[in-house]
Amino acid sequence: MPATASGGARPEEAAASASPPSPTASYCMGTRPEELTARLAAAAGGRPVGGGGGGRGGGGGGGEEEGEHERVRTLREIKNQIIGNRTKKLQYLRLGAVPVVVAALAGPGASPAALVQAAAAAGSFACGVDDGVRAVLAAGAVAHLTRLLAHPDEKVVVDASARALRMIYQSKLAPKFDVNNNEKNMEFLLTLLNSENENVTELAANIISHSCDSTTEQLALCAAGVPQRLVNHFGGSMNLRDACLDSLTAIIRNNWEVASRFALLDHGKALRSIVALIHDRSPRTRLLACLCLIALSHASPCHFQDRQIKTKLILVLLELIEEPGHVGDDAPLALTTLIKDSVELQKQALSTNAVQKLSNHLIANSLESRRAVTILLALAELCSKLEESRSQLMSVQASTLILDALKHASVDIRVAACSCIKNISRSSKVLSAGKLSCDTFIAPLVQLLYDSSMSVQVAALGAICNIAVNLTPRKSILLQSGAVSQLVHLSKSMDPTLRLKAVWALRNIMFLLNPKDKDFILKELTLSTLSSLICDSEHFVQEQTLALVHNLVDGYVNSFNYVIGEDGMILNAISRQLNNAPAPGVCIQGMFVLANVAAGGELNKEAVMNILVPRRADRVKQSFIVNFLLSKDKQLRVATLWCVLNLIYPKCEASSVRVVRLQNAGVISQVKGMINDPCLDCKVPLCSFIY
Amino acid sequence: MPVRVVDTATPSSHPTSGQDANAGHPSPPSCSLLSAGRCYAGTQNVSTIQKEEAWKVNVRINDCDLEQGYLCGTMEAVNVPLADTPVVTFWEGEIVDAKNYTFFTGKWEASPEDDIRHWSKFPSFTPLLSQIETDGGKSVDFSNYAYIFMRWKEQYFVNVGVDCGLTIAGFYYVCFSCSDGSISGYYYDPNSSPFQKLELKCTNEKDSGFTFSSYELQ
Repeated sequence: MPATASGGARPEEAAASASPPSPTASYCMGTRPEELTARLAAAAGGRPVGGGGGGRGGGGGGGEEEGEHERVRTLREIKNQIIGNRTKKLQYLRLGAVPVVVAALAGPGASPAALVQAAAAAGSFACGVDDGVRAVLAAGAVAHLTRLLAHPDEKVVVDASARALRMIYQSKLAPKFDVNNNEKNMEFLLTLLNSENENVTELAANIISHSCDSTTEQLALCAAGVPQRLVNHFGGSMNLRDACLDSLTAIIRNNWEVASRFALLDHGKALRSIVALIHDRSPRTRLLACLCLIALSHASPCHFQDRQIKTKLILVLLELIEEPGHVGDDAPLALTTLIKDSVELQKQALSTNAVQKLSNHLIANSLESRRAVTILLALAELCSKLEESRSQLMSVQASTLILDALKHASVDIRVAACSCIKNISRSSKVLSAGKLSCDTFIAPLVQLLYDSSMSVQVAALGAICNIAVNLTPRKSILLQSGAVSQLVHLSKSMDPTLRLKAVWALRNIMFLLNPKDKDFILKELTLSTLSSLICDSEHFVQEQTLALVHNLVDGYVNSFNYVIGEDGMILNAISRQLNNAPAPGVCIQGMFVLANVAAGGELNKEAVMNILVPRRADRVKQSFIVNFLLSKDKQLRVATLWCVLNLIYPKCEASSVRVVRLQNAGVISQVKGMINDPCLDCKVPLCSFIY
Repeated sequence: MPVRVVDTATPSSHPTSGQDANAGHPSPPSCSLLSAGRCYAGTQNVSTIQKEEAWKVNVRINDCDLEQGYLCGTMEAVNVPLADTPVVTFWEGEIVDAKNYTFFTGKWEASPEDDIRHWSKFPSFTPLLSQIETDGGKSVDFSNYAYIFMRWKEQYFVNVGVDCGLTIAGFYYVCFSCSDGSISGYYYDPNSSPFQKLELKCTNEKDSGFTFSSYELQ
């Protein structure tokens, strides 16, 4: 987070100020940024500048000394002005002060005092202001500061340089430090890690956290013994310990090999030392230890099966939510990561009253914070699988707050609220009870389909997709809400995710819908749009569109006319897709469409026959239907089988003709061969309808 | 389907389920005729010694999750005496798979003897009886059996209040035939007439074939 517009130094920035801001009024020099910048530039050029009664020129050593004093004073003044002051930083940036400050780091004869002030100023410019980071990097500060880490004056210059580099490496804009293909870099990093100076070791940990993002880098660091060294520093200062924990997490994350090796390191002692830190006095340390253990448990679940530790993690994270600042904000996110996709852990969290605790926190505090977002996301995760969580969340006051969050000004809050509703409604039980199929929920969600933020639109579509499945006897409020026209609009979006989710929602609305409402949707959608969507560039969109058509033609005679009519536009599109043998999901849905069409009258069956066994004399290519019957995908075999069964059912003269055509195409023999299919769902209908 | 309240005694609370989960056991076969959106129609025989009576029943499956052994849906009793409108209930089902649920109910006031007595009413259960007696059915290969055994428990009235004079205290022992989509069941409630038979046939079969529909949650 950037500092406030005009003030408020970050802790690391304030710490970087090696000396307290000193009164400048006693000096006879101007303190306006323009003057200070000009004076520093002049000093760098080796000539004294006038103005404000500052540096006077003079010959001999005394003059140089005074010049150096002047430079130190100017640098200190600049540093004091910019620490915690974003406005001042930007002002100096516009004046081009950064290259001049960084140049002070490069001077071969620069005094330690000047180096310290220049390093502190460079670090401060890079703290919390992206343009500042860019300017500092462009001026070559990293190379100068790195060189100064070897300065003989370790106490002051090395400390200041390490602090400045740490501030630079906190920014995502800082360059990555390549340890994978660069032996020298690895050696350098190990030297820093072995340093007696905690500021330097902390810098090494920061560099690792910032740079380590590939499996090979993680393995290289692991092979160099970095994890053990980081653990060895747990006994150092709190900042060093936190940096080492963060660094360890970066090395372990998503890497099974490194995580496994770490779990066994020193007979499990290293792992136990992190477990111990989840009870540390410092909330930040507790959070970082939790994050490290979560990374371990995800990367190597087999080495992290202790249920008790996981329960402890849940409890610690739920406690940390009460902490002020970043720790409290990030704790719900850590909890979300921990329980993601795990029914077992979600049950554990539920048993520790997680839903209640998170809800209470949400109710007790306003929605005006980042914490509200992270809590909503944690609640969403808790409701992703468990009915009990859904029921608890819907029964507390929090559900009213979720509704408010849908209308909140913040994009993140709106997205998080949509995620909550999506996961609450990911349940046939909830949908059957119709708790969300009311205007109170639907109206704001539909409104979000028009949101200016695409991420909000996508999130709202996710919720609407689920609520669209109307399992109640009441007819859909969604249809009366104006949602259909916007869903149709979004189904034509240039963005594939919006298209996918919009079509998905329409498919779910179409499920068991009455004929009148099906007509209404189709009128809005039009056959030509439907046809285009069947041939969409994305497989997932094709699949959902075909599922939509499959629901459209389920048991509704008139809808067959849509599919067969208009010169067979829809059937032709389906035929093209099936002949091109696209993704299995597309084939399955396509075959269910044909199965439903084939359950209609003679005209329908004939139309389907013409797709499966075209009357073409020059046909040399085997019909795709035989391949589908041979598919490894049992769902595709089932869908294809039902299509064939509907074509030859009921037994009559016309169906006998179709049997002959299918026989000639090799379909019937293939179908009969499926009597030994390992899938009972293929075998059983055959026994009933063919034999 | 709800039945008439016979007496005013409220059902006792459910004992703990006591299901013996057996991870890794293959689930019953997926069946196109037992899936979300499938509808069934038939009757429930509610005859008493005094009177022959059967109510028309419509059932719809809202969800079927073989992996979790879970399904749910609605049941509509059409010609319920004294009811102004068809009475709809929401029910949840347990699929007997020896993984999530066994043949032994362990709740809803059903003893193991009650269970065996009811399951034995289904001819398709007879071949399994000896295995049930040996190991409770743990060794039954449900994945290759053309019948699916379930318990359906009505949870609440959808369109009428609890004071409608009907009760949903009991539950159904159900047997589904994968070959033709037919369903047989027996209602069990210690306070109701025993062995009320439920018989349903799949209605998605039109004159000229079977149709399908589906939804997918995100």
